[in-house]
Amino acid sequence: MSDIIEGFLCPICMKDLGTVTQLQGHFEEEHSSEDKAVFQQLKGFFDKAKKKILGDKVEVELNQPGEATKREELRGLSGYDPSWWEDQELGAVRSHTDNFKSIRDARVNHFVVETNKLLIRLDKLLSPDAPTDPKKRKAYEKAIVRWIPDNEVPACLNCAKSFSILTRRHHCRLCGGIMCDRCSEFMASSYAQKLVNPAHSFNGEGFLKRTNSNTSLNSLVGNEGESIMRVCKTCRKLLERRDIMTELRNTKPPIVKIYDKMKLCIKEAEQIIPDYMPMVESLSQGETQYDYRQAQIMRTKLVKLYEAVDQLSKKILTFDLNSEQGVNPKQVHLQKSIRLYATNFMQENLMGLQALPTEEDYNKLRQRRTAEIQRKIAAERQAVIEAQERERSERERQEQERLMKENAVSPEDGPKPGHRRVSSGGDIQKKKLLSGKLPVNIVGTSKGHARNQSDESVGKGWKPVEDAGRVSKASDPMLQQMEIIRGYIRQAKQANRVDEVVMLEQNLRDLHTEYQRQQEVKGQAGY
Amino acid sequence: MNVILAVKQYVSKMIEGCGGGMKVLLMDRETTSIVSMVYAQSEILQKEVYLFERIDTAGRETMKHLNCIVFLRPTKENVDLLAQELRMPKYGLYFIYFSNVISKQDVKVLAEADDQEVVREVQEFYGDYIAVNPHLFSLNLVGCCQNLTWFPPLLSRTIQGLSSVLLSLKKCPMIRFQNSSEMARRLADSIRQVINKEAALFEFRKTDVPPVLLILDRRDDAVTPLLNQWTYQAMVHELLTINNNRINLSTVLGISKDLQEVVLSAEHDEFYANNMYLNFGEIGSNIKELMEEFQKKSKSQAKVESIADMKAFVENYPQFKKMSGTVSKHVTIVGELSRLVGAHSLLEVSEAEQEIACQGDHSTLLQRIRALLANDKVRHIDLLRLVMLYALRYESHSNNDVSGLVDALKQKGISVENRTMVQAILDYGGKKGRGSDLFGNQDAVAITKRLLKGLKGVENVYTQHKPLIHTLLDQLIKGKLKEASYPYLGTGQLKDRPQDIIVFIIGGCTYEEALVVHNFNRTMPGVRIVLGGTNILNSKSFLQEVSMAIGNPSNPVQAGRTVRP
Repeated sequence: MSDIIEGFLCPICMKDLGTVTQLQGHFEEEHSSEDKAVFQQLKGFFDKAKKKILGDKVEVELNQPGEATKREELRGLSGYDPSWWEDQELGAVRSHTDNFKSIRDARVNHFVVETNKLLIRLDKLLSPDAPTDPKKRKAYEKAIVRWIPDNEVPACLNCAKSFSILTRRHHCRLCGGIMCDRCSEFMASSYAQKLVNPAHSFNGEGFLKRTNSNTSLNSLVGNEGESIMRVCKTCRKLLERRDIMTELRNTKPPIVKIYDKMKLCIKEAEQIIPDYMPMVESLSQGETQYDYRQAQIMRTKLVKLYEAVDQLSKKILTFDLNSEQGVNPKQVHLQKSIRLYATNFMQENLMGLQALPTEEDYNKLRQRRTAEIQRKIAAERQAVIEAQERERSERERQEQERLMKENAVSPEDGPKPGHRRVSSGGDIQKKKLLSGKLPVNIVGTSKGHARNQSDESVGKGWKPVEDAGRVSKASDPMLQQMEIIRGYIRQAKQANRVDEVVMLEQNLRDLHTEYQRQQEVKGQAGY
Repeated sequence: MNVILAVKQYVSKMIEGCGGGMKVLLMDRETTSIVSMVYAQSEILQKEVYLFERIDTAGRETMKHLNCIVFLRPTKENVDLLAQELRMPKYGLYFIYFSNVISKQDVKVLAEADDQEVVREVQEFYGDYIAVNPHLFSLNLVGCCQNLTWFPPLLSRTIQGLSSVLLSLKKCPMIRFQNSSEMARRLADSIRQVINKEAALFEFRKTDVPPVLLILDRRDDAVTPLLNQWTYQAMVHELLTINNNRINLSTVLGISKDLQEVVLSAEHDEFYANNMYLNFGEIGSNIKELMEEFQKKSKSQAKVESIADMKAFVENYPQFKKMSGTVSKHVTIVGELSRLVGAHSLLEVSEAEQEIACQGDHSTLLQRIRALLANDKVRHIDLLRLVMLYALRYESHSNNDVSGLVDALKQKGISVENRTMVQAILDYGGKKGRGSDLFGNQDAVAITKRLLKGLKGVENVYTQHKPLIHTLLDQLIKGKLKEASYPYLGTGQLKDRPQDIIVFIIGGCTYEEALVVHNFNRTMPGVRIVLGGTNILNSKSFLQEVSMAIGNPSNPVQAGRTVRP
């Protein structure tokens, strides 16, 4: 940060003139030929300031011709200047989602109702009190699901083959429909359990190959001793559809779990960084606004998070690469991309992560800074005194000259009190300027500088230099408010209430921007 | 009125709407180009979009743990492919965005395919055009004019593209069109129909001054695309061809592998953004500066001794790497450009071209062309262009010697097909096809202006030409554009000076015209102009466009000016 000077600075040569009148005089003498525009602005500003001080209403001048031309010059030759275009909102959009969903739901609802019916029946069929004796079981099944009477169906409902002695009728245990043996599906009971109760663990095939036997007794026990259930193709489809959807909802592949963990770390780091950066910035300036230890803790936390991100992304990169099933090239690509994402994140944030000064260095910095501030204050005070001195002597000289002239005209007449008042008008004005927190404005002709200065006042808690300064601070309610909030932040930090600190800091930032805006508006109204 | 931002905001919104987690972006051929113009791959990667897939790629892997953003043009083919995809979904959830208006019927087809309820969103986001610069867009269509009339499939694509530009910028414009062009009238009519049909979509906040859409026909200014260019972007396109911001350098001698195809994007390349509108001479010195800065940096990078150096190196490395890429890219391009300029005497050629286009005395010019015809360094294509320019300029000059020049071309060994292009350009952009005073021969003011210019001398002989669009825009902004030549569609009329202007050129626009528009935007406060065309032309693609427009030379169509009933 370059040196920051406060006071009645000449916007062109940055000389501190100490008082308004001297600045104006200096400007008229030295720079009037150089920069008419700045001079006009400065002059205009003083006029405004005078009016304001004297209680006049300041009319806001619109459409200043000077400003338009200035903007013109700012537009460079470069490819594209965002200031040419107004903020752009998102283009037109039109949603078909509702229409889409209503069409889909009409169709899908049917499935859902059917599936739910099947599931309720399945649950009953699987109930532990269901009889195992084949005869009784059949009666039990029939009690739950109404079986279509044999004589109503002359041919298989699926393949349309006529039933005969050889092609016997079979009933779907879930819907009671009739089909031939070839068209039957056999559902493993463990799969059925899982459908009813998702917590039930299940591996293997949900539906088994049709057994070669064509007796319906076999429908109870499959090849490997597992009980199975005869269902029709429609029911199978409905159940499988539901199974896939619940599966998708409830299970996360391991890679997603690692990924989520990584994202969590990144998110946490992203929250800490904006708090940490200003801390380092301020601490390495030797400022005392933030607590050194707390910054240290934050840094350790950040480094840990980065390490975790690095580890997890590496894990994703190599995940499942040696599996026997053969590697899916897209999956590999995906894993590489995720790793790239993580490295980009780390490069952008970790590489630029400023180290804290060591504790020893920090103490030195702090001392140096305090000394520096003391020196500056002293220098400024000196400058002000000198300037006032200069002005006084100047005025005295003029006074004397005038007196001499007056004496030459009428030697009896002494200096009239009226005269004294007129000339002291400048004095009053000067004092008011001092107390009106106007230094910022005066230098405000160069906006960048003005911002620096008020940044300074926030960053360092801008200690009141002299009485005038204290008055000025108290006079602006915004600054007062900011000071109060700063106090709160300090307290909150001591109490380690991070949330509140964040909130308060946001508050302070808002206030600060608003304050700057006001200052700029004031500054602009000046020229 | 920033088309890049408009499309970019659409894409960002799509990604946002999909929520967190790993994502795949499923696109078609055209939307892939549309997205790639506004988002760098690395940029989109940081938004957790890890895979890019084409809907027409068969046998994509199933990856249920990815959520899928679908961005497609609403074509029949795409709807079918997407319905197929939804029946057997490969990804977890689907967020579907169409780049233009989709019919209710198509929505139904998709809804009925979604038995597994994987679709979360179905929306229209009107990014149905290629955004090239903030104020420039293209539709990348070749051959929209055939037999001097609209080629129907490309007319409907143009209507879609142009209406999506209006929607993405939220403009419901008054339409003006070039009266001499039947194609312009038809496009204007069709856009009006779209606006009427989708009235609810085009209901935007009313501005004090309504925006203006001006539809022009390339046939009115066939000169601009024939000229050699000297500003960076235009020159690269003329000599090396820019295709969706990509430049193929594989023909350059001794090119290294990673420079065979380079990307020039003002959004992601600062040097390019700062130099795209500068003259070739200025680029030379700027690139020297860039080199020096780079060398300084690489020197400081070279001495990595202390740990502090090392740290600084690591911190600056990504920037350094980026910069080294930029440097080598631009050095290669500029090197190749100056090689071409030298090898083919392009400076002499360009000077002659500019003289033909802007001023000059017939007999001196004729001599000059003959001299260039004798110069063996000049490429055949440049000779052909010179003769074409000559033919356009002196079409009605009593002593013109077009046939003599064509004979000379024949002696140079230029093929018949190419020689017929001289007649073709006259059929395409000759006096009969034009509606405006391209060479400023009739207007007394224009003639005086030209004379004055001749007296004062020109600053730069290579860039003295100003495209017709410059005059038109100037008149339009001042409210002086003739209503007889550029009528309003419908009854409304603009009373104030227009503020938001969209210019569309049927047959393609050029980077020279883009620069003109850029300068208007830069110097006229309160005026915002966006330029678009069916394509962005260089002389090569323009000649292709002309030969397609003229079609079979043995069956010439009477200037395409059938009177409407």
